[in-house]
Amino acid sequence: MGELLLEQVVNGIVAGSVYALVAAGMTMIFGVLRAINFAHGEYYMLGTFSAWWVISRLDMPYVASILLAVAITMAIAAVIGRFVMQRLVTAPFQSGVLATLGLSLILQNSVILTFGGTYKVFPGGWLEPVEFLDMSFAQQRIVIVAATIAVFVALEFVVRRTRMGKSIRAVSQNTECCAVNGIDVERVVLGTFVLGTGLAALSGVLTGPINVSIYGGMGEAITLKTFAVIVMGGMGNVRGTLFAGWILGIAESLVAGYVGLQYRDAVGFVILIAMLMFRPQGFFSVQARF
Amino acid sequence: MSGGATPLLSVRGLAKNYGAVQALRGIDLDVHKGELCGVIGPNGSGKSTLFDCCTGLQQPTTGSVHLEGADITGWSMNRVAREGGFVRSFQKTVVFETMTPEENLVAAGQMFSFPSLLSTFSIGPAARRRTATLRARANELIDMVGLDRVRDQPAGSLSFGQQKLLQFAASLMPEPRLILLDEPLAGINPVLITKIVGSIRKANAELGITFLVIEHNIDVIMDLCPRIVVLAEGSILDDGAPETIVRSQKVVEAYLGG
Amino acid sequence: MTLHSPPIQATAAPRPAAAVRPSPWLGLALLIALLAAPYVLGNYYLHAIIVSMIFLLPAHGLNLIVGYTGMLSLAQGAFFGIGAYASALLAMHFGTPFFVNFTFAGLVTGLIALPLGIPALRLRTYSFVMCTLGFVIIAEAVAKNWIGLTRGDMGLSGIPQPLLAIGDLGTKVTTITGYYYLYLFVAVAMTGLFYALIVSPAGRCMVAIRDNETLAESQGISTWSYKLLVFTISAAFAGFGGSLYAHYLTTVSPLTFQMYYSTTILVIVLGGGAGTVRGVVVGSILFVALSEALRVTPEFRMIFYGLVLLVLVFWQPKGLAPLLDRGLALLGLVRR
Repeated sequence: MGELLLEQVVNGIVAGSVYALVAAGMTMIFGVLRAINFAHGEYYMLGTFSAWWVISRLDMPYVASILLAVAITMAIAAVIGRFVMQRLVTAPFQSGVLATLGLSLILQNSVILTFGGTYKVFPGGWLEPVEFLDMSFAQQRIVIVAATIAVFVALEFVVRRTRMGKSIRAVSQNTECCAVNGIDVERVVLGTFVLGTGLAALSGVLTGPINVSIYGGMGEAITLKTFAVIVMGGMGNVRGTLFAGWILGIAESLVAGYVGLQYRDAVGFVILIAMLMFRPQGFFSVQARF
Repeated sequence: MSGGATPLLSVRGLAKNYGAVQALRGIDLDVHKGELCGVIGPNGSGKSTLFDCCTGLQQPTTGSVHLEGADITGWSMNRVAREGGFVRSFQKTVVFETMTPEENLVAAGQMFSFPSLLSTFSIGPAARRRTATLRARANELIDMVGLDRVRDQPAGSLSFGQQKLLQFAASLMPEPRLILLDEPLAGINPVLITKIVGSIRKANAELGITFLVIEHNIDVIMDLCPRIVVLAEGSILDDGAPETIVRSQKVVEAYLGG
Repeated sequence: MTLHSPPIQATAAPRPAAAVRPSPWLGLALLIALLAAPYVLGNYYLHAIIVSMIFLLPAHGLNLIVGYTGMLSLAQGAFFGIGAYASALLAMHFGTPFFVNFTFAGLVTGLIALPLGIPALRLRTYSFVMCTLGFVIIAEAVAKNWIGLTRGDMGLSGIPQPLLAIGDLGTKVTTITGYYYLYLFVAVAMTGLFYALIVSPAGRCMVAIRDNETLAESQGISTWSYKLLVFTISAAFAGFGGSLYAHYLTTVSPLTFQMYYSTTILVIVLGGGAGTVRGVVVGSILFVALSEALRVTPEFRMIFYGLVLLVLVFWQPKGLAPLLDRGLALLGLVRR
């Protein structure tokens, strides 16, 4: 009994790490742009699809596909960031919602049109099982958790020590002051956007082998779950998303195990509504920005 | 000064903190029906905060606000306006930008004319009559403040001075018992100033509307208001006729300058 | 509460309020054209117009929320689906006439929206939008899992076609032309109802709330009460639309809660021109009827909608309405 619980918690941490990675990106973008990226899940999808394409059409090994997929997605994001996201810097919030909603429609359906609407099988990944605390996991799951932790540590470093990081923090706090102090707000926005979507893409590539079947519309569910995570973590709070992601992952896992598998996806939405109703500022420190 | 009876507006021990900042420190103030009272003081002395706490835009940290004896502390803004008959203008001029001046004024007055929220959904003859009456009054006010030439333009395209006139007209629209004006004369030319001052006097004399006016234009306010309240650092420094205020040592030091 | 809540058309300068009004003869002409359509157009085109009329109702509802009260909601799809299920269930279990089902759908949806709106409207900006999105997801989950009521993923099929009955006399609507005239009647009536709402004093309050909430409050308008009423009424409109949908398609399923529906309604309102009645009507015809008539595949349609949203945000925030007005002015079809 205890073993089953532990296994579910560990699975929850794996799933939660995926969410945390995606959410970190969305929360950073919110921090600098004050805009919720309704298309964020599509970059996760693009990451997965790029990797799939690279492996199955270009015959590349999985390792290479990770780098290429993230690069391809970041390139697409750079173009979108330049022509759409940057223009949202001073726009009212409705513009951000509608523009990213529009992007989401375009990205999703372009992929469906290009590659067809059927499910595809992700052809790669480290699926060899590994023993850990008397339980066996696919190697990929370990990689996911390790990568997530590594990324968060790296983000912590970037945000605190590098100039780019300091600029990001400055823009997150006060856009007008930044312009006066010579920080190029638009460039920071673009950079943060590309970085944030890159994280989503990375998450997508790493999860591909575990999801196994991929399809053009897979990003939508991710976007919605990510909302739950960033609200829990506090919008704009990067550290918070790590723990919030794990909380969601574990909650989903427990519900799937003890209540029923079909309710798993509902957990995120219930949490989202509950958070918005009762604690919209999130669980962690109220005004934390990074 | 009409006195004796229950004051129209009565503030006791009103204090407001914004975190560590104490905007108001225990204000006690009585305003009687029919008074024309000016409120002056340096920036940051709490004048607008006083208005905010009285009208429900902010909740006081401690203290109470009474309107003709009734406790209105903690009332929502719309209740203060509608049930209290108590309107205010804002320091930063606000109008309904997509509506014409006439529509702006009808909107300003309609909640006082319709008996209930649900009745505003009606388009029957009674509702239409009420709206027609409101429109007539709105146009009277538009003519009075001289906005007749821009009658058909959306308020957002009006000049700053015109918007200020509109905001002022809006406060007169519902014929309330008490109007709080927050710097109604700021940034407008002398001709307009004379016009607004004249309207205030007229409304006070003919309709018996009580006014509380925040202003920085000392000359005008001293001339208009028989009673001046001086605020500094969240407290009342002095309260009395303009002649005495001008000669008060502490007021001169705090605000009027040597 | 902020001292200034920007309306959806914040980026464009306010246009002259009373300068251009389409001549009422235009409305009459449109009505006559629509009445005559079955004699001129084939069934497939009639079908396209019917679909656009089905979407017109939830679009009016969304217009009330977005265009007149200034809130952005993505929940119309949820209420559309709830109305569809409500109407279908009543018809299937009790064999009730169409107008009973129709009214029931709107009322039930409005009643469900009321307790949802109370907590949701406390939220600001983003949180509110996300919450409305959450309603759609939850509605879908309920539809999928309350199998006893909704038959889950299988959905309800064999929904009775509209029964027009008074007492014992009745007739069923089964032909395209029959549907067309029934739904045209309903659409015109509901548009009239919507218009009455807009020109009422309450409508003025809504615009006031949209333009500046704090100012509206200071003038005695209980913004919270109006917003809640608007939320409820707009949900009811969506529910009415759902009823039309259910009886036309004769099946409903959890697929009715897909984002496709919320998105279409959003594009109709914003693309047509939020805050105007004619804009939404034109939007419905253009975006829905046209796509149906041209048999545009769903994916292309969604890409097109995505592009429309981008164009709206950056270049034409007021949608088609101003272009329409300019066109009408050129043709001399306006009343000054």
